[in-house]
Order: sequence, then C-alpha cells, then structure tokens
Amino acid sequence: MSEPAAIRAEGLTKYYGSVIGIEDLSFEVARGEVYGFLGANGAGKTTTIRLLLDLLRPSRGRIAVLGVDCQRQSLEARRLTGYLPGDLPIYPDLSARDYLSYLSRLDSRAVDPRYLRYLLARFDVSDVDQRRRLREQSHGMKQKIGIIQALMTRPPVAILDEPTAGLDPLMVQAFRETVAELRQGGETTVFLSSHVLAEVESTCDRIGLVRGGRLVTTGTIEDIKRDATRRVTVIFCRPVTAPERTPPGVAVAAASAAEWVLDVRGPLGPLLEFLAGQPVRDLKVEPFRLEDYIARFYGEAVTK
Amino acid sequence: MIALLQRSAAQARYVLIGSFALLFGFQLVIVGQAAEIERTQSFSRLAELLPGFLQRGLGSRAMLLATFKGTVAFGYFHPVVCVLLSIVAIYVMTEPAHEVEAGLVDLELARSVPRHRLLTRSVILAAAAIAAAVVLMAAGTSAGGRAFTDGSLDMLSVDTRARLLVHLAGVAACCGAFGLLVAVWSRRWMTAFTTAALTTVVMYLVDFLAIGWRPMRAVAWISPFHYYPALSVLSGDAPDARNLTILYSAAAVFTVLAYWRWQRRDL
Repeated sequence: MSEPAAIRAEGLTKYYGSVIGIEDLSFEVARGEVYGFLGANGAGKTTTIRLLLDLLRPSRGRIAVLGVDCQRQSLEARRLTGYLPGDLPIYPDLSARDYLSYLSRLDSRAVDPRYLRYLLARFDVSDVDQRRRLREQSHGMKQKIGIIQALMTRPPVAILDEPTAGLDPLMVQAFRETVAELRQGGETTVFLSSHVLAEVESTCDRIGLVRGGRLVTTGTIEDIKRDATRRVTVIFCRPVTAPERTPPGVAVAAASAAEWVLDVRGPLGPLLEFLAGQPVRDLKVEPFRLEDYIARFYGEAVTK
Repeated sequence: MIALLQRSAAQARYVLIGSFALLFGFQLVIVGQAAEIERTQSFSRLAELLPGFLQRGLGSRAMLLATFKGTVAFGYFHPVVCVLLSIVAIYVMTEPAHEVEAGLVDLELARSVPRHRLLTRSVILAAAAIAAAVVLMAAGTSAGGRAFTDGSLDMLSVDTRARLLVHLAGVAACCGAFGLLVAVWSRRWMTAFTTAALTTVVMYLVDFLAIGWRPMRAVAWISPFHYYPALSVLSGDAPDARNLTILYSAAAVFTVLAYWRWQRRDL
C-alpha cells in the first residue's frame, strides 16, 4: 500500500450560515512537496488551513495530514504540523525568547536547540532581539519569530500563511533558502498560502488556486507554464491582411496591416510554421507571468 | 498545562494582586472601624442609622449589623467585596474569549494541546484565585484583630468565618462559571466580560431589592447572592448545606455546558 499523502482533502466544505467558506474542495499534497495555495482575499485559503488545524469544523468532507484525520484524530494530526498564522498573534509582554520557549513547552515535539539556534541565525535574530519584548519589535521581526516558531520542531508538515509578509528582501531570500533546504531534506512538506506570486513561483513545486471557495486549478508551475497563454506580437515589414484562420492554440487578440497580436497556448512551433512565407520583420514573445495566468481566473489584475 | 497556567497567571497578575490587596486591606479597615465604633460605644447609634426597609426586611437579624462581630462579618458580604470577587473570577474565566479574539488560540491549538485544556486552565486559575482571595480576607480579619483590638472583643469565630467565606467563594464560583459559559459563546472578550459582569451586578441588585420589595422576592431565587444569606449564616440559622449545594451545582452546570459548547464551536 502506498504512503498516505502529506495533506489530502476530500469534498471539504465549510458554510458560515448561508455564506460559503469553501465548497467541495479536494486536493492532495505529496510528501516533501512545496505546495502554494493561492487565491484572493476571502477565497477560502484561511478557512482551509483552519479546518486542517481543527480550529473550524467542516460542514462536510474530510481533510487528513499524513493519513491522520484532522477532526477525528485532531491531536495526532496537530502533532504533525507547524503553523504560521497570517496575522501572527503575540503576547506583547513576552520577549521573543520567552515567546518561543512558551510555545515549545506547549508542543509535544521537542525543539532541537541546535536547529533553533540555526534558524535564529538564518533569520538574523540577534541575542538583543531575543531579549526585547514583542510589543517593541518591528512587524518584520515578529514575522521572523513567527516563521521560526512554526519550523522549530521540524514538523513533517509546515503550514505557512503569508510567510514573507513584512520581510525585507534579504529575509525573503533567507526564507526561500530555508524552504529550499526543507525540500532538499525531503522530510518536510510545506503548504504555503500567499499573495506574493513571485515567491510562489520561486519556491513552490505545485500550486492550487481557489476562487469562491472552490479549487479552480492545480498543477506544477511547469504544467501551468505549458498551459498558459502567452502574448506574441508579430510585426511585418509590409502591410498584410488579418489572418482568416489560425493554427490550433492560437487566437487573434488584435490585427492591423503592420502588426498582429496573438494569444498562443502551448508550443510556438505551429505558429512559426503558419508565419512561414509572411513578411515578418520581428516577433515579440512576452514571458510567462504567473500573475497573468491567475488574473485570467479572476478577471482582474493581481498585484505582485 | 503548567505552561498555560503560568502564562495566564502572568497576564492576570496585576488584576489579581490589586484585587487581593484590596480585599485584604478592606478587612483590615473594617476591623479597625468596628473596633473604633466599639471603643466609642457607638453601635447603638449605628443601629438607629440602619434604613427602615432593611430593618423590616431582615427583622431581628438586622441588629447583628450593629455589633462588633456583625460589622466585622460585613467585610465578607459587603457589596464591593461580593461583586469584586465575582468579577475577578469572571475576569479569569473569560480568558478563552480573549484568546479567540486575539488569535492566540490559533497558536496554542495548532500544537497538540487538547481544546478543553484551555478551559481547564481557566477553571483551575479561577479556583486558585478565589481560594487565595478568601484566605487573604480571613488573614486580613486576623491581622486587623491583632492590630486594632486588645483581645477583649467578641471576634468572629474561625468556624463562622469559614462558613461565610465558603458561601462567598460559592457565589464567586457561580458567577465565574457563568462568565466561562458566556466566553465560550463569544468572539470578543469585552462582550463576554461586560455581559457576565453586568449580569452579576444586576443579580446582586435583585437580591438586595428583594429584602425590602416583596415583588422582587418572586425572582430573587435566580440570583446567586440569594444563596448567601450572610446574616442568617452569622446567626447560625441558614440552611448552609442547601445553599452551598445550589451555588456549587450551578457553577458545575455552567462549567459543563461551557465545555460542551467549546468542544463543538468554530474558533
């Protein structure tokens, strides 16, 4: 029998009265994978995460971590996870050191002091920072402490909600390196919810996109790139007429005597064959952008 | 559990220490005042100052208030004392609502901490706070006795003190448990705390008004303060076992309902 998936949701549904939180959400995250969970505000990302942590009870369906049901075996499931909330709650009177110490005392998984020191060093949390009260810390510093508390027990599944919010570019890089190390180690699955698409593109193996509480697409970044529509502008050296037919996967967005703007899905080969014999002066191919792909689902611009 | 308890105690320390100091100091002051009234032999004049509705409502028991022993005992059922101790219990018991509001529950319960442990923590802390408060009140009376009397006065016996304080603790436990029940239904601490605290004040007024206003007596049974008839306890003719059973059973029922709701709710 094959090993259970790191996270498996089946028909997961949550209604808040008459409002849909999520509906019939089914997806699977493989072990050791870095999975990006994307969606606009209110799409259902946080609801899914809170169901995973048994903070919410599903209206129907189920979700399991490493084969352990998150509702029926809630404690065991939570023993397998590390969690960074989107808006990190703090005890303002505690120092960063006491905060981490308190949370490690609540955990049934022991914290390896060497790994904790390593994380503190990686995220540049100095001894002085550790002694300072959380109410006096910057947003970025609190976020770093949040990432550290989520990872300090080396959980098999790390659930990170907007992990790089408020981090400076150096720390974003440190985060990416940490995720890359976790992926390399193969022992930690990362479930990452984010709005920052560049971060998702650079760190995730696969993404899932939720809209209105439903999963609208899921796949690897490579699959998505293959599937994505790219804009190709063909510039002619003498006037041409608009194409009457186009090869499969090619749609005309705009056409004039001097220039065609085409949306191409899939490889460019058929388009190049189609253009043979035409007076082509130049071709401009816009690179794949995840935000464009996602904007297609939302019908609006997605901020980077 | 120890970590949760330490954290909650640390968060509530200023409120707890302040309240304990107030309750201890109140007993000291009241013994000092009683000793002064006794020294100036003014208890007879004090009896004349008692409001008529109190004298009519309480009957001969009202005269107990105009004695040294009765005045000292008043420190255990003074409205400020009763309401303050109840509100301290409510403050501690409504912490789960604060944890939900502040999102701290996400951090705690994302770990392998059973849900019910957060309530158990609050119950233990509230019980410890109530116990500490009543012990300090008794200590305050003893300290006042040593400081302001020469030993010739008829001081409250340890047994009477204990019976009054067990009733007072029962009232506080009942109000605190009600606070817990409100807290597990609420997403905002201020809503939970205010609701429970205002209900406590209203319940006190219901019981107090029932002394002199006959129609109020029909509903006085809903007030926990109704089961703390301090002057009857003092005179030894109160049904202690019945009253204490009602107070502590109500606290237990509120607590069980709170656990039931907490296990089922979305956080």
